[in-house]
Amino acid sequence: MARRRSPAEISYALVIGGLAALALVILVGPVLVVLATSFTDSRSIRFPPQGFSFRWYELLLDEVRSRPIHRAAGNTLHVAALAAGLATLGGTGAALALAGLRGRWARLADAFFMSPMVLPGLAFGLAALMYFTLLGFRPSLELLVCGHLIVVVPLVLRTVGASLSQRDPALLDASASLGASGFHTFRRVTLPLIAPGIAAGAFLAFMASVDNVPVSLFLSSARTDMLPIRMWGMMESTLDVRVAAVSGTLILVAFILMLVMERFTGLTRRMRG
Amino acid sequence: MDVDALTVRYGGFTALDAVSLTVAGGEVVALLGPSGCGKTTLLRTVAGFIRQASGSVRIDGAGIDDLPANRRRVGIVFQNYALFPHMSVADNVAYGLHARGEKGAHVNARVAELLEMVQLGALAKRRPAQLSGGQQQRVALARALAIEPSILLLDEPFAALDRSLRLDMQIEIKRLQRQLGLTAILVTHDQDEAMSVADRIAVMKRGRIEQLGTPVEVYDHPATPFVAGFIGTTNRLPCLAEAGGVALAAGARLALAHDQAPGSAGWLSVRPEQLMLTSEATPDAWAVTPALAVPLGALTVREVRCADGTLLRLTEPRRGAIRDPAGPIFCRLVPGAQPSLFSANEEE
Repeated sequence: MARRRSPAEISYALVIGGLAALALVILVGPVLVVLATSFTDSRSIRFPPQGFSFRWYELLLDEVRSRPIHRAAGNTLHVAALAAGLATLGGTGAALALAGLRGRWARLADAFFMSPMVLPGLAFGLAALMYFTLLGFRPSLELLVCGHLIVVVPLVLRTVGASLSQRDPALLDASASLGASGFHTFRRVTLPLIAPGIAAGAFLAFMASVDNVPVSLFLSSARTDMLPIRMWGMMESTLDVRVAAVSGTLILVAFILMLVMERFTGLTRRMRG
Repeated sequence: MDVDALTVRYGGFTALDAVSLTVAGGEVVALLGPSGCGKTTLLRTVAGFIRQASGSVRIDGAGIDDLPANRRRVGIVFQNYALFPHMSVADNVAYGLHARGEKGAHVNARVAELLEMVQLGALAKRRPAQLSGGQQQRVALARALAIEPSILLLDEPFAALDRSLRLDMQIEIKRLQRQLGLTAILVTHDQDEAMSVADRIAVMKRGRIEQLGTPVEVYDHPATPFVAGFIGTTNRLPCLAEAGGVALAAGARLALAHDQAPGSAGWLSVRPEQLMLTSEATPDAWAVTPALAVPLGALTVREVRCADGTLLRLTEPRRGAIRDPAGPIFCRLVPGAQPSLFSANEEE
């Protein structure tokens, strides 16, 4: 027999359901609009799209006519891979060091590493540009890697820090009492337990770097063009439909990466029982 | 194992105050006390996780104070077992052997032997999370024993188990300890646990050992008011000391050997089973009025009120339904009871 639901339960379900629907519309709606637009047959960005074709994707893949976009995408991937890789190494190391420390200096260092998260990106981009110019550096991919690194390190620090704080400290005692050295403990106990956190941090750092506008805006140049900046330029000048095609590609890639991540961390969660 | 004048301080707080303790080979000593008494600190200092301010620990005559935890060969069963969640049961047990660089078939053979010993041979490939609490504890035990420790430290090992399972595991650990001739230290706040597993009990309070003795000694002859109150249930009977006995405030004279000065105020610590009810008025019995009687399995627990207002609890074997005795009733010690006399100004 179905239980009758009280008015409070019904209104709760309505409110929660309504909020969820609203969130879906706001979050998923634009994605669908962009995806639909990228398959248009017309010569300008317009919704609803007219006709259906892959012509803008074909143009996007055309090596000659889309060369600047390809170069910007290559730069972006290059910078994101390096920044995320270095951030993963540095962020994991910092999180490990901070996890072993208590007291004022540790909290201060933690706040210092996290500060790029609260600093407005534009302010940091401008400051970085002025500072590096003052030091005599010219815009380069290495400079971009530096800038992105600072912005994405907090993501790794947070995810790794979170998985470290979930680790039972008794496991370290247990390992030591069984005769294991500090290195053995790290390799066989700590590292496997925080691996999902490291992977999640690396993924977030990579995506944040790919997505970054404010730092790239200041630190990139014509030679070191970055994809988001190029897309913005294309939008401003010509309403090029290829921007929608690039967006569509990015959405697809992000979606696949997310599935991979879920599978990976899901797998490790299963391994943990 | 010899612990000699061990002192541990956390900042200004003295967690262990010059504690000395000798544990003979093949013996189980329980460290029993309320939380904050220093029992876990003592265990962790022996394990090498905490550095003492002064004093020393020797195992088989050799000082281990300067050895790091991973070179002390001390086996520990942790309160929540601290099994490695990402490893199988077999890998958990093999961990200590792998850590010292052993490899190959003889590791597998040893792991199989240990798992057989704790009756977990069939579960070698499971993850800890797929095991019950009792099984996890067996794994923790096998893992600690794999390194053939010179001493086994058990940190509240039964606290996370169901009540019904607890006794099984206590017997199991006792059986293994006997079989392998293990020397062990058991940290617990549960007196039943200490009594059933340990050969000797060290009752601790505020960083000191209040009394060290066999379970029977500690129960029957508590050395301090604290031990009397912490181990088992006890009644406090106010009295005045006399030569060769005491005069109870409740109105009776008891012959009793004691070392208090005649005329000094004190109280008798009397176990519930050391008291009995009678209908005969004798000089060593005092009048009481029954207040409450509840059946507790094979026992009847009674509460009676003395003439001076003291409430006493006593237990007697129960046969059939509980009946309140008719007529005037008196309370007396059972023949042969030797309750402890404490001075009134001894703090508890």
